[in-house]
Amino acid sequence: MKNNIFNILKKEIREMFRDKKSLSMMLIIPVMIPVLVIGMSTLFEMQMDKSSNIEDYNKIGFAYELSETETEIAKNLGIIAISNDLESLQESYKMGNINLYITKDNNTYIINGNDNESTALASTLAESYFSKYKEYLQAEYLKENKINSDEVINIITLKENIETSENFFASYITNYAFLFIIMAITISATYPATDTTAGEKERGTLETLLTFPIKSKDIIIGKFLSVSISSAITGAISLIFTVIALLISNDMFEIYEGVNLMLSPLSFVYAIIVIIAYSFLISGLCIAIASKSKTFKEAQSALTPLTFISFFPGFIAFMIEIKTSALLSIIPFLNFTLLFTDITNHTVNYVNIILMFISTIIIISIVLYTIIKQYKSEKILFTN
Amino acid sequence: MLKIKDIKKKFIRYNSKKQKEEFYADNGITFNAKEGEIIGILGPNGAGKTTLLRMIAGILEPTEGTISFDGMTYEKDEIKIKKEIAYLSGNTKIYQSLTTYELLKMCCDIYEVDKNIVEERINKIVETLNMKDFLHNKIEKLSTGQTQRVNIARCLVHDPKYYILDEATSGLDIISSQIILDFIKREKKLGKTILYSTHYMEEAENICDYVIMINKGVVIKEGTSEQIKKDTKTTNLRDAFFALIGGTRNEE
Repeated sequence: MKNNIFNILKKEIREMFRDKKSLSMMLIIPVMIPVLVIGMSTLFEMQMDKSSNIEDYNKIGFAYELSETETEIAKNLGIIAISNDLESLQESYKMGNINLYITKDNNTYIINGNDNESTALASTLAESYFSKYKEYLQAEYLKENKINSDEVINIITLKENIETSENFFASYITNYAFLFIIMAITISATYPATDTTAGEKERGTLETLLTFPIKSKDIIIGKFLSVSISSAITGAISLIFTVIALLISNDMFEIYEGVNLMLSPLSFVYAIIVIIAYSFLISGLCIAIASKSKTFKEAQSALTPLTFISFFPGFIAFMIEIKTSALLSIIPFLNFTLLFTDITNHTVNYVNIILMFISTIIIISIVLYTIIKQYKSEKILFTN
Repeated sequence: MLKIKDIKKKFIRYNSKKQKEEFYADNGITFNAKEGEIIGILGPNGAGKTTLLRMIAGILEPTEGTISFDGMTYEKDEIKIKKEIAYLSGNTKIYQSLTTYELLKMCCDIYEVDKNIVEERINKIVETLNMKDFLHNKIEKLSTGQTQRVNIARCLVHDPKYYILDEATSGLDIISSQIILDFIKREKKLGKTILYSTHYMEEAENICDYVIMINKGVVIKEGTSEQIKKDTKTTNLRDAFFALIGGTRNEE
């Protein structure tokens, strides 16, 4: 009867690859990955350019006359200091001619402005300015009191020796690129899973199939393998496109300077293992949900929550920076995203991969058992 | 021999007050079918014909009663039985994206037809049903009549012993219907057992050796056409049916 699994698989694959919709679902997200990776890199680069270009936020208004020293400090920091009365400065700020303005009340200086990007950058610049100015005043005071200012102000020396283990942009982009692979596999699995179960029921061919001398177990395994193969192909194409997009971005954008986004051959193998495991899991779940529906439309509605569930844990994991652990490696959906993060960070733990595999196999077995049971019953055809 | 003994099928439906209620689509049907015999299952729409044939084809499970094919039952020998039967209904759908040849080849593989005779068998069926012109066309491109011929061909590939045909001519034009009727006669000559359900009484009268009339899930009369007509003092099966249910032809 192993032959019948192959017969069903052959039929399903043949139908799938002849259906334009199935093919487009297999390819639509993988094709979008390079666009997303390069698009996000462009946005980051623009953001970096903005903060590195001081001319965009160095126009600071002062509602008082600056002394020579103050003007000198401002000039050294690249600040274009504009002294004027308060009303004129407020008007200039509204018009966007200055990035913020500073008012003074005795020894209290107030930085004024709205909560926007250029004011925030200008505010950081103003803080540097006041830090320098405060240092100058402190030195002058100490000098007046005949104290060596160097001994007081530079009483300690602070040097930075922080090794930057990872480039923020590189880890952000690679994490999201791999999350897109999960999305691509999910979307690729939903259409053929719906078509091969609810679609077949709706078209009336399921009744014909059930009259054939094939065990329901063989029918389900054949269908499950066909959907898994299709989603794994999508996953593999997505991985290739992701790697190509990362390589192009690596060369194209300065934000990745000094970073190697290329996956090692071993990381590539791990990524393929995760893709295959995820394809099997999501295909089983999609078939289980879709086979309970009477029509194609009903199945698609039923599968929508699963689409969200599949990548939601990944987003949360990135946001709160969850790290892989033995326990998290057995939690479906979350484990795949975390393992992808480990792969891109070259911190893969074999035990976690094995735990993910065991947990996936257990879930798939339960899911398949449930569907096979369902196909043995006439309810699969006559849900009413 | 096919033996059907007191089979019942209970369904649950919702009444006008949206309350669940049980009803029997078939309620205690018994008959036997011998080799080379065409058994006509006659009755109006909703009589229980389709449910009966679906149970015999193994698509539905009887609530009560037994079905046995040469002593084999679905509980023990489901796959063996399914290899011996062919089920075709007016509603039977086949895989649209496959070509006729691919479908027939797939059926040969599923029914485990000897690999050495697969091509020969397909060629013979293609010739018999005159399907050469569209053998390599996708089924979705075929006309209704051609599709039904493909359906018949699908039933023939494994040379089954039993044919279960449910309203197989329903909705077909006169030429396509004739193809099916010719196929039934041909298979009868080869000693095959054929269960043939229809609500076209004249059609059944012409080809069936034995007729079972069903109404509301129960057998109201069975016998040869001649016997039924004689017993009901009518000249055709249509009148006989109305005589049995105590109505008039206009009520149909």
